[in-house]
Amino acid sequence: MTLKEIKARYKKAVLGFLWIFLNPVLQMLVIGFIFQFFVPVRVDNYFLFLFTGLLPWNFFSYSVMKNTPIMTNERSMIKKSNFPRESIVLAVVFSNLFHMMIAWMLLLLVLIGDKVVTEHYSLTQLTDYSIRLLYTLPLIGWLTLLTTGFSLLFAALNVKYRDVNFLVQAVMPLWFYATPIVYTLQLLPEFFGSLLYLNPMTGLIELFHAVVLMQPVYDPELVILDVFLSVVLFFLGCWIFIREAPYFDDWV
Amino acid sequence: MPKQQPKKRTTRKKSQKTVSKPRTELIGPLAVSLRSVKKRYTLHHEKPTFVEKFFGQTYNEQFMAIDGIDLSIPKGQKVAIIGRNGSGKTTLLKIICGVTKQSQGDVRVNGRVVSLIDLEAGFHPELTGYENIALNGLLVGMSRSEIKERTPQIIEFAGIGSFIDAPLFTYSEGMKLRLGFSVAVHADPDILVLDEMIATGDANFQKKCFNRIEEFFHQNKTIITVSHVMSFIEPHYQRFVWLEKGKVKLDGGKEVVAAYRKTWK
Repeated sequence: MTLKEIKARYKKAVLGFLWIFLNPVLQMLVIGFIFQFFVPVRVDNYFLFLFTGLLPWNFFSYSVMKNTPIMTNERSMIKKSNFPRESIVLAVVFSNLFHMMIAWMLLLLVLIGDKVVTEHYSLTQLTDYSIRLLYTLPLIGWLTLLTTGFSLLFAALNVKYRDVNFLVQAVMPLWFYATPIVYTLQLLPEFFGSLLYLNPMTGLIELFHAVVLMQPVYDPELVILDVFLSVVLFFLGCWIFIREAPYFDDWV
Repeated sequence: MPKQQPKKRTTRKKSQKTVSKPRTELIGPLAVSLRSVKKRYTLHHEKPTFVEKFFGQTYNEQFMAIDGIDLSIPKGQKVAIIGRNGSGKTTLLKIICGVTKQSQGDVRVNGRVVSLIDLEAGFHPELTGYENIALNGLLVGMSRSEIKERTPQIIEFAGIGSFIDAPLFTYSEGMKLRLGFSVAVHADPDILVLDEMIATGDANFQKKCFNRIEEFFHQNKTIITVSHVMSFIEPHYQRFVWLEKGKVKLDGGKEVVAAYRKTWK
């Protein structure tokens, strides 16, 4: 199923797998160009900062946006037989994860290259840094959990309430700005900074920045809240999805 | 029959661990057993939305598609379900296939069910014939190794030829149907669900389909059919279930067909 998703996505694309990397790079260039003039974000390399946040965000938003209307889009499969419905959702999540991992590898190469060229790291420093980069693996695990949770939740709800899809489409761009991807939380008034932790993506992106770019985390205790929120959302999504899945056919 | 039920349950629990392939071995004498099954649909006049629910403007019009059906189909029996449009035949089959779930009652199905009703469902237009065989095979419940093993037979039977490498949107309607049929019959079903759709493809392929289904008739497969064409079902089936308004009106041998015929005009 995942394979189907990947193949179907790039069947017609001439540039093929290049798109996986090109898409976030273009995004990074546009946003980076604009924001450098408007927002005084104090980070060493704003473009790398952006890219580190954009990759997980794109994975999250593509997966959720694609999964929300998926049960109605794939109604022919649902009407066919009683295969487990969650495989449709998981196929999308995992194919997007696969794409992100490729881009992620390239980013890590760029990061290590950057350290060598601009900061003249010694060999021991480099190995330390590489080991540090391994911490992104559990973060990607967390990201996948959160994405799966939201995907299952919205996919199940959209079967019964078709406007959930419009809601998600409308909220996603706002959500993007409610996550510290183009700015750092340190820029915000104190109250806002803490408030944004109600969005579980905030803590996640913060940690990505912390690991890769050694950015300070705004409030480490509230990051734990985000982990907790993510787990709750994941189980909520699973629960609603499993409860509703046998009746999908009645509604599509 | 119902008295045997508790016994079976206990043996099933034990055997589940030891038997490696529960799919076929699990079967007691019954292939399908429905007990006071009901299916309720909510009628929608428009797309259901969240906003409507908040403002309390939901329609609560309900419709009983199946209104209390008890039906036991022993393994190997050939059953035809007859009745007028809207009598609940398709809903009943959907419940047996597990595509949807009953609102009330108890449904038990032993074995792999494969439906020959919506053959093209689950195909992806951008993928090639090969990839679609793999995808559709998974959907009807085949394992990866089974699919790999049977792909040559499936292609051979469908007669797609060199198109098998081409994406599905280049196929003609007939080719898609042939491929769908071929995947379904090679899934080695225990319970086969049919309707009178065999009017697909050219005469040659029709003959192939009939032969194949004929084979299923001779093997000890359970076959459940929905049909309006009495001449097609009458000679082949042992049991006829006449549905009307979601209930079983008559259940029995050929006399049911005769009684059903009388209501025509």
